[in-house]
Amino acid sequence: MMIDPALTNDSGAPFIPRPLWNGWETSSLSSSRTNISRRAFASIAALALFLAATAQFGSAQFDSMDAPVKPRATVLYAAEPQSVSAARRAVLELRFQIVPGFHINSHTPNSQLLIPTALTLEPAPGVKPGALVYPAGQPYSFAFDPGNKLDVYAGSFTVRLPVVATAGDHTIDGTLKYQACDNASCYPPKTLPVKIVFTAK
Amino acid sequence: MLAAGLALVVWSGWKNWSQRRSAMQAQQQRRVDLMPGNSSPAASDFSAGQSQLRGKPAPAFTLLDLNGNKVSLSNFKGRPLVLNFWGTYCEPCKIEMPWLEEFSKKYAPDGFQVIGITYDSEVGRDTIARDTGKLGVTYPILLSTPTAEKDYLSGTDALPMSFYVDKSGKVIEVTAGLGSKDELESMVKETIAAGGK
Repeated sequence: MMIDPALTNDSGAPFIPRPLWNGWETSSLSSSRTNISRRAFASIAALALFLAATAQFGSAQFDSMDAPVKPRATVLYAAEPQSVSAARRAVLELRFQIVPGFHINSHTPNSQLLIPTALTLEPAPGVKPGALVYPAGQPYSFAFDPGNKLDVYAGSFTVRLPVVATAGDHTIDGTLKYQACDNASCYPPKTLPVKIVFTAK
Repeated sequence: MLAAGLALVVWSGWKNWSQRRSAMQAQQQRRVDLMPGNSSPAASDFSAGQSQLRGKPAPAFTLLDLNGNKVSLSNFKGRPLVLNFWGTYCEPCKIEMPWLEEFSKKYAPDGFQVIGITYDSEVGRDTIARDTGKLGVTYPILLSTPTAEKDYLSGTDALPMSFYVDKSGKVIEVTAGLGSKDELESMVKETIAAGGK
């Protein structure tokens, strides 16, 4: 069985903060000349320091091992009915949610070798779409390669679509192409059907 | 006052540590679930594939390399191998591939061989060659097929995925995702040492 390196110490054994415990026990118990109250104080202080140290140490490690189990889809979209003014330029907001623990390349992923997130739209009667506006990404680096700053979306992101539409109800069908990774693995590019529903009044 | 403060620090530290330990155990369990003998529903496809392979002979394959030549697993009979599934879209893969290149040279005297198997072979040989060239990879790069993916990956699509095959042709370890360079080298050494003389 292979154990996550984040859970192991230098010798490869599972990470258990026992050496720190042992050090505390040895130092406090070996001081036979200290009185009880001072020993108790030293013990509490040592314990506090140990817990603070392990909290810091563990927090850093936790970030690197928090790989999620992959769900069926890593990006979600819910059609939110929107209302705009007819025959005037308006902007529709398309909100996407990324499953926690995953990220996807932004529209401009800082590398020609990576697959950018991109939305393509089908023509819709009565709707004249403008150029899509993608949000800026956020920097991300994989473990062991901190110098390589990728540009990703994580959490949620909103794509804006300028439109001019005739009065009435409209639906624009589209497809979001994205490629997702977690903190250790990447998954093949996927497509997500998108249905943009709005009314122009 | 001091004692109360210390008690608060101790309590918060202990609570933090307990929460992290629970998370670590959950994470470790997930890792374990990916290994043989476990049947986590969330990782069932993956564990099934791995449990079928670990400790078993590596499934035979004949795949095309970037020059269109057929390369079979049997060409490497008697040699310790790493079969590394990767993809051109996979950044973690590209972090570990130069390490594999380094180890393929370092342990060549032991007969060690790395074989890269490109998961997204549909992107074409030019794109694949462009990426491997940038990474300085010289070990064989083969093009995956649905059969090879069924035999090895068994439905999972997480990359990178590596299969460590000893000299006897047995899969001794399967890893998914990016680990450390030291961990990877350690597995290479174990693979070289396994399977008899």
